Amino acid sequence: MSEAVLMEPAPPIEVEAPPPRTRLASLRRSATFWTGAAIVLFWTLCAILGPTLVPQDPYADHLLHELAPPSAAHWFGTDQLGRDIFSRVIVGARDILTIAPLATLLGVVAGIALGLLTGTFGGWIDAVIGRAIEVMVSLPLIIVALLALVALGPSSVTVVVVIGLVFAPLITRTVRAAVLAERGLDYVAAAELRGESRLAIMVLEILPNITAPIVVEATVRLGYAIFTVASLSFLGFGIQPPSADWGLAIAENYGVIGGGYWWPVAFDAAATASLVVGVNLLAEGIQEALSA
Amino acid sequence: MRIPLLRLLGQRLALAALTLLLLSLVVFAGGQLLPGDVGRAILGPLADPRAVAALDHQLGLDRPASMLYLEWMGRLLHGDMGLSYAFRRPVAPFVAAALVNSLKLAGLAFVIVVPLGIAGGVVAALHAGRWQDRAITLTGVSLTVVPEFVSSIVLILVLAVWLRALPISAAWRPGSSALVQLQHLILPALPLVIVLFGYIARMTRAGTVEALEADYTRTAVLKGLPRGVVIRRHVLRNALLPTITVLATQTGYLIGGLVVVETLFRYRGIGSLILTAARGKDFPMLEAGILTVGAVYIAATLIADAVLLLLDPRQRLGDAP
Amino acid sequence: MGQHRDRTAAAGGLSRRDLLARTGAGGIAGVLGAARPARAAGRPGATIRVAAAVPAGAIDPVTVADIGGLVLLQQTGEFLVYDAPDLTLRPMLALSWTPNPKGDVWTFRLRQGVKFHSGGTMVADDVVATMDRLADPKNGSNALSVFKGVLSPGGTRKVDDHTVAFHLDRPVGHFPYYVSSDNYNAIILPASYKGDFEKTFDGTGPFRLARYTPNAGASFVANREWWGGRALPARVEFGLYADQQSQILAMQGQQVDVMQQLTVQGGQALLNNPDVRLIKLRSSIHRQVHMRCDTGPFADKRVRQALALTLDRPALVAGLFHGLSDLGNDSPFAPVYPSTDHSVPQRGKDIARAKLLMAAAGHAHGFTVTLTTERLQEIPDYAVLIRNAAKQIGITVNLKVETQAAYYGAAKFGQSDWLDSALGITDYGHRGVPDALLSATLGSDGPWNAAHFRNPAYDRLVGDYVATTGLAAQRSIAGRIEALLLDETPVIFAYFYNYLIATGADVRGVEGTAISQLFLQSASIG
Repeated sequence: MSEAVLMEPAPPIEVEAPPPRTRLASLRRSATFWTGAAIVLFWTLCAILGPTLVPQDPYADHLLHELAPPSAAHWFGTDQLGRDIFSRVIVGARDILTIAPLATLLGVVAGIALGLLTGTFGGWIDAVIGRAIEVMVSLPLIIVALLALVALGPSSVTVVVVIGLVFAPLITRTVRAAVLAERGLDYVAAAELRGESRLAIMVLEILPNITAPIVVEATVRLGYAIFTVASLSFLGFGIQPPSADWGLAIAENYGVIGGGYWWPVAFDAAATASLVVGVNLLAEGIQEALSA
Repeated sequence: MRIPLLRLLGQRLALAALTLLLLSLVVFAGGQLLPGDVGRAILGPLADPRAVAALDHQLGLDRPASMLYLEWMGRLLHGDMGLSYAFRRPVAPFVAAALVNSLKLAGLAFVIVVPLGIAGGVVAALHAGRWQDRAITLTGVSLTVVPEFVSSIVLILVLAVWLRALPISAAWRPGSSALVQLQHLILPALPLVIVLFGYIARMTRAGTVEALEADYTRTAVLKGLPRGVVIRRHVLRNALLPTITVLATQTGYLIGGLVVVETLFRYRGIGSLILTAARGKDFPMLEAGILTVGAVYIAATLIADAVLLLLDPRQRLGDAP
Repeated sequence: MGQHRDRTAAAGGLSRRDLLARTGAGGIAGVLGAARPARAAGRPGATIRVAAAVPAGAIDPVTVADIGGLVLLQQTGEFLVYDAPDLTLRPMLALSWTPNPKGDVWTFRLRQGVKFHSGGTMVADDVVATMDRLADPKNGSNALSVFKGVLSPGGTRKVDDHTVAFHLDRPVGHFPYYVSSDNYNAIILPASYKGDFEKTFDGTGPFRLARYTPNAGASFVANREWWGGRALPARVEFGLYADQQSQILAMQGQQVDVMQQLTVQGGQALLNNPDVRLIKLRSSIHRQVHMRCDTGPFADKRVRQALALTLDRPALVAGLFHGLSDLGNDSPFAPVYPSTDHSVPQRGKDIARAKLLMAAAGHAHGFTVTLTTERLQEIPDYAVLIRNAAKQIGITVNLKVETQAAYYGAAKFGQSDWLDSALGITDYGHRGVPDALLSATLGSDGPWNAAHFRNPAYDRLVGDYVATTGLAAQRSIAGRIEALLLDETPVIFAYFYNYLIATGADVRGVEGTAISQLFLQSASIG
């Protein structure tokens, strides 16, 4: 998906926003936000506390009990190496909940920097960076990320860097649009009259006024980061074994579906879906509140 | 009005060409980073180094990279996409076959999702704020964000493993009839439908809500036209504008971003062609595949913009001052 | 390529043919059509539909290096000698082969009246041209790694129209394997071959090309002029599939009759399917777990032994292969090789001893190491199992699983994760004799020596082994090599899994090799 959604030119969000208190109030009332928050919180807790809570070692193999169906001993059954799927699903969010937020952070930081630069200075900087962004977004995100990972080799660090850098242009675009909307406003002109340097205006005047669209963009991007990391792991270029990551688990086990073994993939699929939906409900809630 | 429109189109085309040129450079430069070398990719990791060197020489790969690029570009300007290193045959038929495969899949997904999405969007808009609206919007949003491999797994489990209603893979036997192909394509098309539904429904809903509130709709209602006629004549036509834009952007995604679905269902489309070429360092194949995706995306965007310009005078005025 | 012998020989009884061919007294085995497998009384005229791997590139006998390519090659092309699934050599385009006393000149008598599909008759000139082409470093030939140090350009000489003499660079007792079907590039082509095999698939075999569409399929029809009479099937149709899963689905949907290769991993759906018959070939396919002998903790052989002692091999074989595998004993001598000395004790799991060895080596508290490997079949799972096993003696193993291209890198020391990693897993295909594995993967100057194992005594033994003729003598040297490697343990060989071919339950007469070849001239359905 997503790629497409990502390519959609981000409309500058009107920042004639209600005062913060109203925003928070509407956020507090948002069922969407709270549902999303609950799901994300659940998986975050599982990721942090999971290893101490799970009934069995999620990584220990039992070669003579491979592909055992769900039972009292193994609630979700066992995978091809006889590992307990329930325990693996519980701890399976650890890596993705580390990598996706870091990648998002990297993308947001780089995007803000580039967006401020292009939006504030314009001219040739804007032209060059704008063209580069155009090239980047003329390809589906996942293909760009895949090619980069084929070239660099998959590791957690490269996944963070690649996804961060692939996201940066999209965030740059949003930030640039927001900056352009701000630049004509009185307070910028006032600051210029006061003789503030352009750097100061950029960081001290404009940036604080465009936090709303940036926060919205960051939460939306976090959803896509999870989506992308999961997809890359499924393709073999994301999180690596022996992690219990859900996308990786599905990749490792979907070959046995044809033999009627549904449990090594079904629970991981449900977990992935719930996390992604959770993050997006969260983002949706924030977006509604900030642009209400 | 004609002339600025043409000039605008010319500008856009020139920009598109520039984008593709830059893209080809990026891919080429990036391709240099890919691990391994061509001769070894063909002869296997255990091949004798002398044989690898000899094969690289035969393929002309022992020359400077810049020369290879210029030569390739020269050929391309004459309409020749070059020879695949691995297959030692022209690249074009491979890319064409893969593109046709991807288009079949994308086409089927479109045929299913467009009516579904528009209907969903209109229904939601007509019931704006009520439970039907919330249900459609929330379902759409949730489905849209679920990765294809997850929805695919669920669909495979339900439709292929439990109900045994559809074949599990898109790889039909070469030479199968159109009907067999269609049967194999339904399952892989569904994850795309799921992803696109929410998006199209959302856009249609927004367009419809706007159109319902517009002056011309009020006028039509005041004139006493039946509700159905108003919706068909006035609301839908205007509501479809944003939907067209969405469809265009989604085309780019559908053609190129199918990698996951293609991998999962073992379908040989353009996404898997690009991946295979990248693994084999088959540079002409890689360039051709990526530029095809880029060109399709840019063309789709251009067409969408052009359609919008023609349909919506407000846009035209805004864009060509 | 490899040593010439069979399992009857291994079991103690040498067949007359076997004995004669090996001792060089003359290959009188040239019964017409002997290359055909035992005839099943099948119905003629069938169309055999095969699911095969999609070739990675152009179909050219000189360069092909993948199973998708090599199985297509040998539908129309033939070898001098056929290395049958039981590892015996049988005449194909050569009727007999004899060495000189020293073992460095081998004379092959060729079959007469063999016609290429393009019309010409096969003569010694064609064989000479074929072998020179493969042995020439200027041709990008994939057979070069087989012929290196054995056969040089000009070494293949015509004696008369139907006799060829191979003048080798050094004595090789079992040279016929080097030009047998084991060396899948050694298809005999016309002397006039221009590198355009893909156009007509010109060969001498039981089938000729009807149509080849890259990435999609190939069909072949019976060759009326075949020297072996006429193939049983009228037609063979190959569908080319990108991966095993789609082949399995095609088998389940009965869209194909034969599946080129089935692996247990992901093949569960066919393993216990009554509609499917499995052809199980014991093989020397294996994975090498190399440990750097020259640096780091594995430089101490006690640490290498300790790691090898953590693996529960019977459980591995049961879990990863449903038991369809031989156990490995940390040397390239697969149980399937007749020359393997089975009296060397099998290494098993012994954590207590492993811990003692670790302590003696000063690693009582273990250490951390990265296991680098490639994403291929069961290898990532094997890596996880090794990680879990190593944990029992305090070794923390981090996994790095890469694409094949990234793992092998430039395949040169210093530029390859394969050759430079402290601990790694590498895939090796089937070989009819262990010669290449012995020297290339463990020899002091071996190009595939990822373990950086350097042992002059070992090098001498391998030299002796390759030059020696006679099964008893070979087995005795093999026993010494096995014992030496078991002690040094530069590489863990835990299993040699069976090569599996799946066919429909009503399909008869299919023969294949663990190299992935399929011989279909006697195949029938029903």
